[in-house]
Amino acid sequence: MIIAGIDMGVQNTRAVIIKDNVVIGRGAAPTGGIDRPEMAMKAYEDALSAAGIAAGDVSKVYATGKGKFDVAFADAVLTETVAAARAARFYFPEATAVFSVGADETLAAALGRERLISEFVLNQKCSAGLGIFITYLARRLGMTMAQAAAVDVADACAVNDGCVVFAELDALSMMNSGEDADAIMAAAIKAVAVRAATVLCDLTAPVGDKVVLVGGFTQSPAFLKALSSCMGREFLVPDDAEFCGAVGAALAGAEAE
Amino acid sequence: MKGQIWETRPLECWNLAKEIRRSYDGAIAGKDKVLGQGMSSFTLDWASAFPAIRVVEDNPVGAMMAAQDEPFARKARLASEVRGWGREICGYHNNCWGAQFLGHTSDGNPFPEREFTVPFPCVCDSHIKRGQQCRDYKPIARWTNDFTMYIGERDEKREEAMLDHRNYNTLKMLNEMEIVFGQKLDDEMIYDMAKSYTNIGDIRSEIAYYMTFKPTPLTVKDMYSFFQLRPSPKMGPDVLAKFWESLRDEVKWRVENKIAAVGTERFRWLEAHPPPWHYLKYYRYMEQYGAVCLGSQYANLRELLIEPDGSYEVRSYTEPAFSADMELTTREDAVRFMTTPDARSPRHWKIEEYIEPYKLNDMMKIYNCDGALLGLWRAGVGCTLTRKEQAIRLREEGYSVMVYEGSQPGDRVDLDEKRLLEQLDTWMESLGFRKFED
Ligand code: SF4
Repeated sequence: MIIAGIDMGVQNTRAVIIKDNVVIGRGAAPTGGIDRPEMAMKAYEDALSAAGIAAGDVSKVYATGKGKFDVAFADAVLTETVAAARAARFYFPEATAVFSVGADETLAAALGRERLISEFVLNQKCSAGLGIFITYLARRLGMTMAQAAAVDVADACAVNDGCVVFAELDALSMMNSGEDADAIMAAAIKAVAVRAATVLCDLTAPVGDKVVLVGGFTQSPAFLKALSSCMGREFLVPDDAEFCGAVGAALAGAEAE
Repeated sequence: MKGQIWETRPLECWNLAKEIRRSYDGAIAGKDKVLGQGMSSFTLDWASAFPAIRVVEDNPVGAMMAAQDEPFARKARLASEVRGWGREICGYHNNCWGAQFLGHTSDGNPFPEREFTVPFPCVCDSHIKRGQQCRDYKPIARWTNDFTMYIGERDEKREEAMLDHRNYNTLKMLNEMEIVFGQKLDDEMIYDMAKSYTNIGDIRSEIAYYMTFKPTPLTVKDMYSFFQLRPSPKMGPDVLAKFWESLRDEVKWRVENKIAAVGTERFRWLEAHPPPWHYLKYYRYMEQYGAVCLGSQYANLRELLIEPDGSYEVRSYTEPAFSADMELTTREDAVRFMTTPDARSPRHWKIEEYIEPYKLNDMMKIYNCDGALLGLWRAGVGCTLTRKEQAIRLREEGYSVMVYEGSQPGDRVDLDEKRLLEQLDTWMESLGFRKFED
């Protein structure tokens, strides 16, 4: 059976085609604004063409992500947590928890044996928009996302980690006092890592030693380093981390049928 | 109905409930009253036995304001904040205090300024401050109400002493009110009230018991409406007893005939507190999943007497101390009749909630629940304390728990409604439920 998953995030949309539990096609597009439905279709078409099949070959399409309701051609929608949890188990069958840090949302779920999710936590207001903040700050500092992801966080100070509004105020102060762009970005990433970590810490169930990290921030080595150092643990990152939402949606959706 | 599992039909008692509510609202709107603040529900009933003394508590007034006129509530909170009452103050009170500073209510009528206050002890700073604030605002009479509350092993001697103290204070307050306000308390009315108050307490306990059955004949959403009912002087206290009796009979009949409040019931949950009051519609949202809320510590912690080993009995407010039909012939009789059952487990749920936060675990078993929903409010510490600890205990016992952020029920600024729905979707989906229409 061939199924498809679409993960429409706040900034990026990813699509996958899965045949017999193997990902055979991937597609991507920026999420866009008013044209979100078209962007979803574009990512899907890219995935179809990468897989070398036509839309008619796909039995069901499942959508997740903040923009899931804009994926008009989806047969069903799934929550981001369920999709992330399912993907974590797909890539690491022994996974004990999943942690996702993206443009807008941070979520964490402890994975169980009887039930896939034994407990979950979604970010509340104070840890919303971490990825968007870093994207915006990079633009302001004249950096590309690749440059932002490569800054050295080892000895960086951290800006205020209360929320991105406070963090931004601190970053602006650093700019005004002439700090260089790398130092400001490193301080911001460190604060973002601390803030994201609070969501994982909010789980009351033990998270175990195999925590899978997914979401857009997996593409930032600087973030990974800051997170590992503030939590004192390493994370499992799937090769396909950016596509995890789409993979999880497809698998969990098909299983729920 | 899609997903229907149980037979269901509307409650017949709603009509009488609406009539009682209309009559009370009309009575409160009168202007020739001495208005008091901060009394416990126990003394609230006494106040109605004075010809022209009424209690206007911050809590319901503030709740109404936030639920019905959010722009005005925001204006009121700002008025309170600029006078130094920060955002950590419970929403009910910040709304009310702000309206007092503005001098009017949302419909433009003058704010009902209080002429006396009866604070009582509470672990929540905002709760106790509501008795202080109106007195800081202008000099008014003040009495104090106490609870027979203590921690540790049950000590009957101590209870007796505490009850004596409480009864003495109450009698003293009533006598002094007569002098200060030049009004005569209607003792006959008090005897009736004491009887009907305890009678209603017993009936509410029975109803709580019926809600332990599957499918539940009643949801907490109904109960939240009913337990705010107060008799207007015009209708008299009997009407309330009549209402609760007919509700009890109807609910009993529904249990015997397996008539569900929600025809799709397949997941039962308890919560610690209600959400911000304007947002009770989330109960309806959850019904799309077949999820039904049975109650909360706030609504029905006190209805069943739960022993430390988890066993329980349906609480009686008269037995064993008194017989329900005993004759009351003095004011003191009436006061004792109402306060004595409190000694074992005070009716002031808020205090009990702190001392025994893990009663929620016992309630989960008694009410045959599958999960719990716990709100973390950004202001109003009294309604948030112990939530995370409760979550840990509940999870240890294998219950599914969701914690969400919001505002204390008298405010709505910090409740992200869309986010809450996303969380509820996630909660349900993580348990394998889909909406019936999906
Ligand atoms: S937060 Fe709760 S306990 Fe505190 S004043 Fe408000 S309603 Fe009362």
